[in-house]
Amino acid sequence: MIFAQIFENINIGLVVLDRKMKVYKWNRWMEMNSGISNEEIVGKNIFEFFPNLNTEKFIRSCDTVFTFGSFSFFFQKQHGYLFPFKLSGFIDSRFEYMQQACTMGPLRDEKNEIKHLFIYVQDVTAVAIYETKLVEMNIMDSLTGVYNRRYLQSKIQEEFRRHKRYGRPFSIIMIDIDYFKKVNDQHGHLCGDYILKEVSSKISSITRVIDSLFRYGGEEFCCLLPETNLESALTIAERFRIAIMEMENHFEKKIIRVNISLGVAEMTKDMESPYVLLNKADAALYRAKNKGRNRTVAL
Amino acid sequence: MITDEEVEILEEIMNIAFGKAASDLAEVIDIHVALSVPYIKIIKASELPVYIKDEIKDLINITILEQTFLGKFKGNALMVFPSYAAKELIGMFGLDKDSSLESDPIATLEREILMEVGNILIGACIGKISELLKDNVTYSPPQIILFNQPSKAMTENHLSYTNSAILLKTVFGFQKGDVSGLLFLLTRQESIQWLKNALQKFMEQYE
Repeated sequence: MIFAQIFENINIGLVVLDRKMKVYKWNRWMEMNSGISNEEIVGKNIFEFFPNLNTEKFIRSCDTVFTFGSFSFFFQKQHGYLFPFKLSGFIDSRFEYMQQACTMGPLRDEKNEIKHLFIYVQDVTAVAIYETKLVEMNIMDSLTGVYNRRYLQSKIQEEFRRHKRYGRPFSIIMIDIDYFKKVNDQHGHLCGDYILKEVSSKISSITRVIDSLFRYGGEEFCCLLPETNLESALTIAERFRIAIMEMENHFEKKIIRVNISLGVAEMTKDMESPYVLLNKADAALYRAKNKGRNRTVAL
Repeated sequence: MITDEEVEILEEIMNIAFGKAASDLAEVIDIHVALSVPYIKIIKASELPVYIKDEIKDLINITILEQTFLGKFKGNALMVFPSYAAKELIGMFGLDKDSSLESDPIATLEREILMEVGNILIGACIGKISELLKDNVTYSPPQIILFNQPSKAMTENHLSYTNSAILLKTVFGFQKGDVSGLLFLLTRQESIQWLKNALQKFMEQYE
C-alpha cells in the first residue's frame, strides 16, 4: 500500500517491462511527461509507443539484465534520453527533449526468477544545461562570442593531426583591426568593444560551416579553414576584408569605419607543429601591416 | 578470518561463476570472453594500492573503471584496461569508428564502450557469483576513475578503502581481437561473515 503510493508519487519515472517488452507498470510521472496514460500503455509492447528504443544497445541491455540480474545504465552524456519527452518550462533550452539519466535492473518473483525489469528515468535537463553553459564559457570569448584562444590551441592541434594523418589541405587566416588603438582613444573603450563585436560577428557570418573563428588577442582574430588550400583561403580572406571595409558601425550617432589586415598561410608537409603555421600567418599579417594595411598577404 | 578451505571453495565458486558468465556472455553479446582461473588473496586496505600497482606495472597506459556493488555480498569492482582496448572494442561491438574524426567525440565513444563493456563483464561475474550464493546485488553506475593515463598515475586516492578485503583477481581476454585486462573484485570486510556462511551452505548441497 505504502510502496504503491511511493511508486505513483515519486518524482522519477518508473517503468516495469516483462520479458516480451510489454509494459507491466507505468507510473504517474511517466503518464505526466509522456501524455500516455496507464490504461493506454499497460499490456502493450513498449516499442509500439517508443520505436526509438528498438536499438541494439537497448535490447542488449535488457538481455544482460534478464540473464545476469545486473544493471544497465543510460547516461545523459551518451544517450541524451531514452524517452523523448518534449520540454516545457525551460526558456533557455539547448535541448529539444528532456535530458535523462536512466537505469535498468532486474525484478525477481518469489522463486527468485527474473520475470521483469525496471527502468527508472531521472530528469537531468537542468544539470545538462549548466554543463553545456560551462563548456561554452570555457571555450568562448565572453565579449565577442567567438571562440577564445585557449580553444584555438586545442583546435589547431586537432586540425594539425588530421592534416598529418589524412594529408588534406588546411589553411589559417590571421586578422587584425587596423588602427584599433585610435578607435579606443578617440571614441572610448565602450566603442572599441562595440567595434570588436561588430567585426567578429560580421566575419563569423561570412565563414563557412567548417571554419571556426577565434579571438586571438586584443584586436586580433584567427580563422581556421580545414579542407582549404591557400588560393581559396585568400579568396575568403578578401571577402572578409571587403565586408569589413564596407561596414558602417553606428555608435552614439557616429559612423565609425574600420579596416582589417590579413595574413594567410597554408599547412605544408615540412611544418613540424601547428605553431609554425601560426607564425607564418602572423608574419604575413605583419607584411600586410607594413605594406600599408587594409590588405591580404600570403608569404 | 577466512580459512584455506574456504578460499578453495570460493575459488571453485568463482570458477563455476565465471564459466557460466563467459558462456552467457557469448550468447547475449555474441562475444567470446575468456576469464582466467581466479586468484584469491586476503589483503589489507593499506597494501592494496601497492599490490594493484605492481599487478599493472607492465601496462603502459591504462583506463580504470570502478563499480560498487551492494548486497549481502558487497564491495567494489575495479577493471583495468590497457589504453588501446577501447579502439579494439569499438570495432568488435560494431560501433561506427568514423562517425567523427574529432578528438573529443572519439574520447566520448571510448568512454562509452569501456563503461558498457565493463558494466556487462562486472555484472556478469558478480551476478553469477551472487546467484550461486543466493544473493541479490544492486550496482552503482560504473565510473571511470582513470582515463588513458600512465599506470604510474594511479594513486592511493583511487583506492580509498578502509578495511581489509578479499581480493579476487581474474584476467579477461576477448577472443576476437587482442584485448585483455584485469578484473579485481574487492569484497568488503562486512560481507566476510555472510560469505563464510554462504560458502558453507553451498558446500552442504554436495555433502
